Amino acid sequence: MRWWVAVAWIDELLAEAAKSVDEAEVFFVEGESVSADLKRKNVSLATTSRDCGLGIRTIHKGRIGSSSTSNPADWRTCLHAAIASTKLATPQTWEGLPGPADLSMTPLAFDPAITVEPSTARELLARMLAGATEHEAEVTAGSAGLSTTRVLLANTHGVRYTDQHTGVTVSLEAIRGQSTGYEFDHAWALDRIDPEHVGERATFFASESSKGKDIPTGEYDIVLSPLAYADLLGNTYIPALNGRSVHAGRSRFASSLGQPVACEGISMYDDPLLPGANGSTRWDAEGTPTRRIDFIENGILRAFAYDLKTAYRYGKQSTGSASRGGYGGLPGIGHHNFVIDGRRSTLDDERVLYINNIVGAHTANPMSGEFSVELSNAFFMEGGQFQEPVRSAMLSGNAFDLHHTIAGLGNDTRTVGSLILPSVKIKSQRVIGK
Amino acid sequence: MVRTMDGISYYDLRHVTGEVTHIDIDNGVVESAGTSFFNKAVLRVLVKSGWGILQLDNYTPCTGTKFEDLLQKAARLAMVTEEKVVLGDAPRGILPVPPLKEDPRDVDIEEKSRLLSLVEQSAAGDGIVNRRANYIEKDEHVRFSDSSGNEYEYRMMRSGFNVLAVASRNGNVQMGYEREHTIHGFNLRHQEDVGRKAAGVAVSLLDAVIPKGGKMQAVLDPELAGVFAHEAVGHASEGDLIHEGNSVLGGRIGERIGNDYLTIIDDPTLPEFGFDPVDAEGVAVERTEIIRKGIISSYLHTRESLAAVGNGKPGHARAMAGEPPLVRMSNTFIEAGDSTEEEIFAECKNGIFLKGSRGGQVDPGRGVFQFNAEYGYLVENGECTTMVRDVSLSGDILTTLHKIALCGNKRTMSPGYCGKGGQSVPVSDGGPFILLCDAVVGGSGVD
Repeated sequence: MRWWVAVAWIDELLAEAAKSVDEAEVFFVEGESVSADLKRKNVSLATTSRDCGLGIRTIHKGRIGSSSTSNPADWRTCLHAAIASTKLATPQTWEGLPGPADLSMTPLAFDPAITVEPSTARELLARMLAGATEHEAEVTAGSAGLSTTRVLLANTHGVRYTDQHTGVTVSLEAIRGQSTGYEFDHAWALDRIDPEHVGERATFFASESSKGKDIPTGEYDIVLSPLAYADLLGNTYIPALNGRSVHAGRSRFASSLGQPVACEGISMYDDPLLPGANGSTRWDAEGTPTRRIDFIENGILRAFAYDLKTAYRYGKQSTGSASRGGYGGLPGIGHHNFVIDGRRSTLDDERVLYINNIVGAHTANPMSGEFSVELSNAFFMEGGQFQEPVRSAMLSGNAFDLHHTIAGLGNDTRTVGSLILPSVKIKSQRVIGK
Repeated sequence: MVRTMDGISYYDLRHVTGEVTHIDIDNGVVESAGTSFFNKAVLRVLVKSGWGILQLDNYTPCTGTKFEDLLQKAARLAMVTEEKVVLGDAPRGILPVPPLKEDPRDVDIEEKSRLLSLVEQSAAGDGIVNRRANYIEKDEHVRFSDSSGNEYEYRMMRSGFNVLAVASRNGNVQMGYEREHTIHGFNLRHQEDVGRKAAGVAVSLLDAVIPKGGKMQAVLDPELAGVFAHEAVGHASEGDLIHEGNSVLGGRIGERIGNDYLTIIDDPTLPEFGFDPVDAEGVAVERTEIIRKGIISSYLHTRESLAAVGNGKPGHARAMAGEPPLVRMSNTFIEAGDSTEEEIFAECKNGIFLKGSRGGQVDPGRGVFQFNAEYGYLVENGECTTMVRDVSLSGDILTTLHKIALCGNKRTMSPGYCGKGGQSVPVSDGGPFILLCDAVVGGSGVD
């Protein structure tokens, strides 16, 4: 509990705030991270980072103000800026920040065995490089990083929540001729990543794709790897489940509640309490206790995600979906562990075009879902075997529509960022050859 | 105890403090508006091998033993490195920051909010279901010093706004998005036309068609020509990627990659959105001709990549506050040629005209790039006809540049942000209208 003593100023801040505004909230983050980077096969730099900062929200008569600073000693300036900002915001229906709930403060994604030391990062790099020797390709760059973060949320209703997270990430890039391969892994615990496998896959893809041939333009049955599928979903489909976008008319799902939005058998949900998952947490970024949200059940759209502000405005309940991009970010609507599931099967009993990665998913139209992206490490595949690699081609389609033509979910499951998902087979997608 | 300075061959410190002011208006509601503060530093130390780097939030400038402790901490990190880093010699100097026509700090936030709200309201209209406008202003105070005695200090103010209009009809949802960002001062006055333009594009797109992908003649507008230069050439010429063996442009200095009239430049001295008075390791910035008259001429470098690779110019180190410098572009563009717009469309004859950018991406090792247009038109007999939406373009770096058949006679720059290694820095891209033959255009449309 040494940490509570170190942040005694938070109570002082909240008491000071209570003199001039209805409610106030402080989000305080402190952490250390270390990383080591490879230039080809040599470690060329090691970095440590000491992060610290606080974000303040003040609410007065439905007006929400905010500010942030990286200097806790200067919280007074930050508080005054937040209060000044309160005066600018349009008042809205507001029914209060949450009060304290009886939640366990035992972290869900914290590995005490993680040491934020450069030597650990260097060992992870060595293990990736060992895995990389399995295939004929040159390593061009790589990185390994470890982090530990302490988070504190406090408000004028007596909420005093703490949490701790750890993280470990590894990534490796390889090349053979003009064929590149990339792989990564990330988790909250050291024993949940597989650096040798990351190294092996990076050189495998570089090596295997080097024999790529061009293919004719046409319609192909495709399989998107969890990586490619996550990239596409994260830029189109998932933002459309954001309650604020829905009510603002910025979501294609605005009038789809109760309607089929994916094939039968497909489910999508956020499970913040999933054991072992990276994003697990008992409370969201504004102190609402988290719970499972079933967005899509058996292909039918059942729910949207809400934070307090959006919920109060539109007469809904917060779904505990508030998240922040660091201490400086205002809480917005996000998710914790977004899972895509359904009946699993092998996807390549018949010949399919397997797409490991895509280039340019962020250029998809977030409103309409239209995308056209370049393929990366694509292969024809059958019976579990990679066959002819494809040199270069574009895949075009609509991220919303393709969910109605899903031919199956694979037996694999992978965590990609905050998504947990399998590979997916889709019938007759348009591929433009070179 | 080892004496701190023993073995340290070089260090530099970049300390950035400042304020960010933002306003967010969504369908007439001021969602949030206010000011935040930041204070970040990065200390880099070279010992016998590679870099030891400390990233510090909330740094207080210090000297004597306190600073020596930091140096020692960074030096200990460097002990795990094995790559021998050598720094190339580079010219020094700092350019004056262009004066602000109107200093945003002199305008109070209530006035900014009122002006932004006019822009947001101007995006209203028939068919528009949602409007959103954001204002952002970042005031940065940068202080650089290194162990060779170089010291630089400057203040930069970047400000601007975005406006989004969403149109919807029978489940068809389309958007128009406009951005105006500048280093020249407050730019929120009299901008209602920008909001109207976003709305006009969103509504028109409801009736646009998705083209059928394939190979065709393509005319790119200046904004898209700039994205093309950035994605197809700029990234692949970055010295760190060349050094890693991760760019198809590696080892190709002096080779022909395009026609005689193709010249592609990166110029941090230009007073555009990617302007840098001095680079992030205290090196003087300089105009760099990546491609000169169709020949690969120069790579973009930091001091480290200059020493390792050569064949190019330093002064291209850039960093976000508190982050280590990387080789980055600044203002990247295709030089204007001598064709008129009419000549370009006439020469295109039948094909596609692409406008605006939703971004792009490149795999420099593979030499493949992709970028997306906001919208465009089919070109039939040299005339723009049906409006199209959701079109992308992809290509191979080594072959596509040969297919630039004509360059227009007027260049325009557009501001934006570029991401690399988890850092986002302000850039501008531009060019004239260009005609690209046999372009690979992606679109899911059918006949």
